[in-house]
Amino acid sequence: MILASTVPINGLTLSHYMLTSSLLLVIGLIGFLTRRNMIVMFLCTELMLQAAAIAMIAFGRYHLDVSGQVFVIFILTIAAAEAALALALVVLLYRHKATLSAEAWSELRET
Amino acid sequence: MVDKLWFLIPELWLFAGVVVISVMGLCKARGIRNAVPLVVIGFLAVAFIITPLLYTDDRLAKVADGLLIPMLGKYVKMVVCAIGIVLTMLSIGLIDRPLEQAVASGRARFDPIRVSRGEYFVFFLLSLIGVMLVCNANDLIWLFLALELTSLPTYVMVAISRPSRKAQEAAVKYFFLGAMAASIFLYGLALLYGSTGTIVLTEMRDAFAEQAAAGGLNRLALVGMVLALLGVSYKIVAVPMHFYAADVYEGAASAVTAFLAFVPKTAGMLAIILLLMTVGWSGHLGPGVEGLPQPILITLWMICVLTMTLGNIGAMLQRSAKRLLAYSSIAHSGYMLIGVIAGPALGINAVLFYLLAYGVMNTAAFAVLGALERKGEEIESLDDLAGLRHRHPALAIVMAITALSLVGFPPLLGFLGKLYLFMAGVKAGHVALVLIALINSAISAWYYLRLLGLPMLAMPTPTSETIVSRPVIWPRVAALVTAIGVVGLPLIAGRLLSASEAVIQTDEVSPMVDQFDVSMADQPAEDQRAP
Amino acid sequence: MVGAERDVIAAANIFSVLAGYAALVPEPSAPIPIAETAAGMGWAGWILWLPAISTVMCGLCAALRVKNKLPAWITVGLLGSSFLMTLALWLQYDQPVVIHLLDWIVLGGDRWTFIANFSLYVDSLTLLWMLFVTGLGTLIALYASEYMEADVRGGYARFFAGISVFLFAMTALVMADNLLMLYLGWEGVGFASYWLIGYYYRKPSAVAAAKKAFIVNRIGDLGLALAIYLIWHNFGTVEYRALFEALDSGSYSAEAGGWSIKAIPYLLMLGAFGKSAQIPLYVWLPDAMEGPTPVSALIHAATMVTAGVFLVARMYPVFLLEPASLTVVAWIGGLTALLAATIAMAQHDIKRIFAYSTISQLGYMFMGLGMLSSVGAAYHVFTHAFFKAVLFLTAGVVMHGFAGQVDLRKVSGLRHLPGFRITSFTMLYACACLAGVPLITNGFWSKDAIMAQAFISTGPGFRALGVIAIITAFLTAYYAFRVWFRVCAGPVHFEAGEEQPDDDHAPEHGEFRPHAPRLAVNLVLIVITIGAVGSIFLKGWAGERIEDSTAAYYSPLAQGAGFWEDPHHWMPWVASAVGLLGIAVAGYFHLVNRKAADGLKNAMLANPATRWLPTAMENKWYVDELYHLMFRGPLWLGGHILNLFDRYIIDMAIVDGVARVPRLLGRGFQPLSNGILQSYAVSMAGGVALLGILVFLMPQLVDWLSRWMGGAG
Repeated sequence: MILASTVPINGLTLSHYMLTSSLLLVIGLIGFLTRRNMIVMFLCTELMLQAAAIAMIAFGRYHLDVSGQVFVIFILTIAAAEAALALALVVLLYRHKATLSAEAWSELRET
Repeated sequence: MVDKLWFLIPELWLFAGVVVISVMGLCKARGIRNAVPLVVIGFLAVAFIITPLLYTDDRLAKVADGLLIPMLGKYVKMVVCAIGIVLTMLSIGLIDRPLEQAVASGRARFDPIRVSRGEYFVFFLLSLIGVMLVCNANDLIWLFLALELTSLPTYVMVAISRPSRKAQEAAVKYFFLGAMAASIFLYGLALLYGSTGTIVLTEMRDAFAEQAAAGGLNRLALVGMVLALLGVSYKIVAVPMHFYAADVYEGAASAVTAFLAFVPKTAGMLAIILLLMTVGWSGHLGPGVEGLPQPILITLWMICVLTMTLGNIGAMLQRSAKRLLAYSSIAHSGYMLIGVIAGPALGINAVLFYLLAYGVMNTAAFAVLGALERKGEEIESLDDLAGLRHRHPALAIVMAITALSLVGFPPLLGFLGKLYLFMAGVKAGHVALVLIALINSAISAWYYLRLLGLPMLAMPTPTSETIVSRPVIWPRVAALVTAIGVVGLPLIAGRLLSASEAVIQTDEVSPMVDQFDVSMADQPAEDQRAP
Repeated sequence: MVGAERDVIAAANIFSVLAGYAALVPEPSAPIPIAETAAGMGWAGWILWLPAISTVMCGLCAALRVKNKLPAWITVGLLGSSFLMTLALWLQYDQPVVIHLLDWIVLGGDRWTFIANFSLYVDSLTLLWMLFVTGLGTLIALYASEYMEADVRGGYARFFAGISVFLFAMTALVMADNLLMLYLGWEGVGFASYWLIGYYYRKPSAVAAAKKAFIVNRIGDLGLALAIYLIWHNFGTVEYRALFEALDSGSYSAEAGGWSIKAIPYLLMLGAFGKSAQIPLYVWLPDAMEGPTPVSALIHAATMVTAGVFLVARMYPVFLLEPASLTVVAWIGGLTALLAATIAMAQHDIKRIFAYSTISQLGYMFMGLGMLSSVGAAYHVFTHAFFKAVLFLTAGVVMHGFAGQVDLRKVSGLRHLPGFRITSFTMLYACACLAGVPLITNGFWSKDAIMAQAFISTGPGFRALGVIAIITAFLTAYYAFRVWFRVCAGPVHFEAGEEQPDDDHAPEHGEFRPHAPRLAVNLVLIVITIGAVGSIFLKGWAGERIEDSTAAYYSPLAQGAGFWEDPHHWMPWVASAVGLLGIAVAGYFHLVNRKAADGLKNAMLANPATRWLPTAMENKWYVDELYHLMFRGPLWLGGHILNLFDRYIIDMAIVDGVARVPRLLGRGFQPLSNGILQSYAVSMAGGVALLGILVFLMPQLVDWLSRWMGGAG
């Protein structure tokens, strides 16, 4: 099983990195599900993206392959694009209702 | 690499179009601004024409090793360009309408900061470029970026599609949930990378083949694949990622809704097909076992059944035409997954054909909604369609034909699409799945009949009497064109089917067969592939 | 045999001689006739295309808002040409042929194929159906040109476009050379029927009836679609010729057999029962009478409803693979015949009575098919098409003449009214046909062929079915003449219906004057009646049509030649007796002593022990209500339960639950309120988690599921 890495990096094995990354994913997800502030929610999705980035780098090192790190550069680019979009949307919404709460917007629903 | 660039010419050409229209949209002269959609149509038409010229056999031969499905692009790009043209027609006169009216009447001065027509069509084209790029994906980075290029512009399109708070609410929901789904998808990709040590799809395919030969895919690969599939099911509005659909489709303008129901869905389906292509349908559980690896098969199977069923049940409860079509879009994704599960060649061909068929039908339905308005506001309720025949007979007929086609009424386009999908399912041995789909298809008649009966048979109500058609003629042209497509395309079904058949012709997309031939020399090779 | 005895039998055999039984020489195991590809017969395609052209032209008339009778003449002209070409095709017919028109769907490669082209399969079964479909279609379009004239300024073109669509689809259904094209026509006639039932879209009842017809038919269509799949799955083709070749040579793969071949006839049956209105899917047909009367006559009596019979006849070799399925067909047919006849007895709406009688007669046809008398069934289809068309058309005359009056209690003595004489007498003859008056009516001969077969074929309970058929024949004679005696005989008396005629022959606020039919209607009535008389002599001809076709199955003969040994000898006497008895009873209650009928009904209603019978019959045995409970109820309930599930379980339980977990963990997250965006997110994440848990942590469940899924899992 790959998780049981035999190549420690400063005493850290792949499983440590995977644990970090999966914790980051779960924390991001839980934050996304529970926080109401839209900016915080967005930051949580960033956390989830970075969880994937950490996994990529760790796997890249494990396989002695650079493409993982290349991927991370692109993930950061996408994250930047998403950030621009998210902030623009949040500002747009804030102009209508002076609140950042996601639950203020529930006009569209099952009737 | 240079050889591969040949196939990117349509995308590059459209990107040139993006640059042109982003400037045109800011021009002070009204005529130039109004010409933006026509220029978009022009660029798409040229891309449509040059695509088949680029896919020559000798060029394909050079890239064949690098791409999983080299011929995918030819079919998909042409379909996307053709439907893109109709979708453009549908969007004409939609953006900046109050502003343009004010400018035209002299009540306001032209202000380049406040116009967004150019941006709308820029994002429109960028999203189409995204889908077209998915076809060329040869590694995970490309796949991810192309998918994001497809979705990110759609978030903006939803927000600016109409000056209503509903549109912005829809955009926010769409964006946030989309970001969550994209993260899940990306994490799946990370695990796939971890399992194989490569991001190149063809190399991943070989790595999976090795794993399978060594006793089955490893768990990391399976978890990664399942996560990636679930993440991308957001794009194809499949369960459990379908919850946003009704709200977003309701909130966005009809033209954008038509776009959402076709473009990201196509991208998502292609992504699913490419990802599954690395695993192959030849069985990784051991020699002699056909089909997808069991966890992936189960996941897809459950997604497929739930998507069809929940989509159809959801649609039955709706009073809003757009929400109804949103749930119908969910259900149709379910049908398409049958083809995905069935696998190459027939199943994938069927999915590709159904994408075309669904694109046409779906655009027709939304074109009718988009061509109608009341006091400048889009119509939403089903009751608004009551007695449409009396005031807008052509639109009513288009709606009726589309509804019949969506039910799968022969000989219309939807029928052929379903026939092909279900046939693929039966041939792959998924009789239970096809049975469920048939029952679902029969249930769906219940609500599509409202789309058919209300415009054609019901009496106009006082509220539906106030419906008028939009001042621009183009949405009606789009409705007419797509309706002709729904009726007329079945007549050239043979050619369309062979076009989609040309994409994948053999079942041998995975080197698995060779791997097993060593261990199972006593069995004929055909037995290991899904028939 | 002693000479005198032989003379007695010969005298008794007079019916048999007249009916031309000698023509039917039994030959138990005939090979299935295999069609050849015909060259140079492409012109036959125009039989199919002419109605399509008519549709387009009527559609153009509607679009151009043509306000005269042009659509009617286009339709009559093109359909008439189609009929003439069918005649020509019949005249030069000598063996089954396949006529290729154009390629449609050609899929597959070396290992399998799926071919469905626009081709015609012409054998005598096709021709039999086509002759009366196009012939009656033309005549009824002619009738409608006058009947619908009040709508010239309204939906006239729409109506004729619908009729043309129907004929196009029906032609495609009957002449198809593959099951996919048949399915196309099958759905097409369903759609045309939906279109035309809902023609009076201002009436909510008409729209509801249209919807009901469509949905009930979809249930049957599901069966047909599944059957087509299974046929393709097992035999690798949907083309008749290849299918029959495979069946004939037994060259289909044996391992593919088992349940999937056995299921085919039952699924086909479901389709046939939906289209032909048999138990349990008959409920749409009576409601379909909301459509204009020519539609009821053409679609819901003479042609479309026989599509189910056609399907069974066409696929007879498939049914013969699983003989038990034919027994089911026979029993369903027999029970439907009886049930519909009892309902018809207690209705007051003339069109509904005829609708139930159609269901009942279709039951006879299925009984015939099920009891291996495909000849009798096809002959009954043929005769029934004529007399039922006349019945509906005369009912239409009554409706048209009395401003929509359809209650038989409110119109009386029609034959004494000026202008209604032809109507009365054609209706009398058609009622006689339905009742089976001996010798002079076609219904007598065709029904007799089926009823006698019940006592010849061996099958579970076929004798009981024969008794049921005889009882039904009595009831049929009664309700048929109940209508005629009430409406056409007796003292002149009428009440106008509620319809307000807006055409020029409407009374000017004066006393209501019935509007007598004019030339086109009378002409059509007379021509079809003559056709009905003519069809008496066509039994042998219809028999030959069947013998040449794939539906050929030679009925087993009676064991002996003695009078009582061959049911074909005594059945005519029995049938005549019950028929005449039924007419006599109807005559007593509805002509001689009309009060007695009401008195009898009141007496039954007054007596608690018998009250249920007339009530239940009048309320159609409450089947509609039962179905509503059975199907609509759970569907509605299911939808709402899921909605509630979504609202309360997903939103409240899961959302709140997930909100509570982090709080319990003391993470300091804010409690999650019911924000919509996040409840979607929770549902999505929950769905991902559930699927993940299921797939990766529950191997037993996965194994079980993949076994259940079948497929290649």
